Amino acid sequence: MSLLIIVQYLYVPNFREFTPLDQNAPTNTFVWFLGFFAALFLGWNIVSLFSSRASGMLKKRAPIFTAAFLLLLAYDWATLSTGMLPQPFVPWPDAILNAMIRDREILARSLYHSLRLLFTGYGIGVGLGVISGVAAGRSASIRYWIQPLVKVFGAIPAVTWLPIVIVLSGNIPGGLFGGAVLLIAVAVWYPITSTTMNGVLSVPKGTFEAASTFGVSKLGMIFKVAIPASSPFVFQGLTQGMSIACTALLVAELMGVEAGLGWYINWQRGWADFAGMYAAVVIIAVTFFIVNAVLSMIRNFVLRWKEGIS
Amino acid sequence: MKKGRIKIRDLHKSFIREKTNEDLAALENFNFTINAGEFISVVGASGCGKSTLLRMIAGLEKPTRGDILCDGKKVEGTSPDRGLVFQEHALFPWLTIRKNIAFALKSSGRYNDYAHTIDPLIEKVGLKEFANSYPHQLSGGMRQRAAVIRSLAVSPDVLLLDEPLGALDSFTRMVLQDEIIRLWKERENTMVMITHDVDEAVYLSTRIVVMSPRPGRITEIVPVPMPYPRNRGALEFSELRTRLLKTLNFAADVERAKGLEPSTSTLARWRSTR
Repeated sequence: MSLLIIVQYLYVPNFREFTPLDQNAPTNTFVWFLGFFAALFLGWNIVSLFSSRASGMLKKRAPIFTAAFLLLLAYDWATLSTGMLPQPFVPWPDAILNAMIRDREILARSLYHSLRLLFTGYGIGVGLGVISGVAAGRSASIRYWIQPLVKVFGAIPAVTWLPIVIVLSGNIPGGLFGGAVLLIAVAVWYPITSTTMNGVLSVPKGTFEAASTFGVSKLGMIFKVAIPASSPFVFQGLTQGMSIACTALLVAELMGVEAGLGWYINWQRGWADFAGMYAAVVIIAVTFFIVNAVLSMIRNFVLRWKEGIS
Repeated sequence: MKKGRIKIRDLHKSFIREKTNEDLAALENFNFTINAGEFISVVGASGCGKSTLLRMIAGLEKPTRGDILCDGKKVEGTSPDRGLVFQEHALFPWLTIRKNIAFALKSSGRYNDYAHTIDPLIEKVGLKEFANSYPHQLSGGMRQRAAVIRSLAVSPDVLLLDEPLGALDSFTRMVLQDEIIRLWKERENTMVMITHDVDEAVYLSTRIVVMSPRPGRITEIVPVPMPYPRNRGALEFSELRTRLLKTLNFAADVERAKGLEPSTSTLARWRSTR
């Protein structure tokens, strides 16, 4: 199977040489890009000869990687080779890669802005959400007030507030950035609060009672019992919250905030630089993928005590 | 002087049923003194207030009237001096077995004194290879063992056991009964155990408290004057069991069952105990 990929790789660059050279003179960037992965695979294959673990991983992933590159090949064929997809609105991989390299500085800065906004808002939302969720889980009277709040306002998609935030941005500390942070924080707060609350409520009574027979302090009950016991639920909220935060981030950037990848897409649209727009989309996809992968790695580590998690 | 003497005076506990606002007495006129180092078993049908009694001794629930003294001090809340082993182990699933015990020790402020006893205790009940395993990786019997030693590790004067072996198969039960006796003999602490199993009560206890349901009252206190380790097959053992079953009102049914005709009272009792 791994051999198949190598063979395929050898074919893909070849395929590029046949493509007709139309308007935007294609460069060798795409070839380099594919070559890089081909080399990576070759390396992996060599390692596989010595390590059964690497070989197992490669065998498991080979089909999906093959499919991914076949898809890339099909895309290249549909754009650059034949122009089947409407041009110039759907640029080919080579052009997208070149846009990334050309605008790397501004893209890097945009990425930094996006991530800063995302994590500031997410962090605040998670912090407040865990606090209110644990409080609501432990105390019936706090739950009485928080539950309807989550039910009513949690049902409203957070981005609905965006126009209001934009209007009010002059009055919010930090301006539009502060407003967007607030927006993301609020959006994340709902799922975290409700999952944490449900988590604490689902902890068996015996767990708290056992802890109390050992003389666990009030603070210990929260930090050493309630939070770890409900952590599977908290992580469920963290994952949900991250996907909501990513959506809110992009909508905020596309509509108002004047920095970040969302803003870059809009800005490039203004210049009719379609390759640039696609470049930002690819970066967004890769970034969110990485963020979620890291989150799930953290989750698997923290919840290693749980049945069914490797 | 040995510690762990429990004095229960005029204990009364009632619950208010929410729907009807009716006052339900769970426990009435309960007077009993447990000497330090005794092994007391409490037997009785479901709903006789056994668990309520144990929870009040642990300090998890407050009596409606009367009080409980532990070594002369009134029980007003939980304390590491009175450990409780739950029917459903109640181990902390996010901690390994060793860390469960360490957590109990740290919380009770006794870590420095007893940290060195963790590993020997784990080894003594055959969990050495599982010290770093999480509770879900253990079998039911191993979990219950871990729960018992977690509670014992903090060296309580009184160990309360709420049907700790109730959910286990009979073979595992017998193995654990021997382990509990061994640990008790070694520690010489007071044990108060709730059980549904008359055999278990006879096998383990120095005295057995038989309770009647609704409201919970002491029917009889039966001393068990046999030396340890006890022989389950001994005549004395089976005589005592028969006597207890009679007190619990099951013996008569044994006679009737011989006639292969279930009496209405048997069925009624069977239903009420379900």
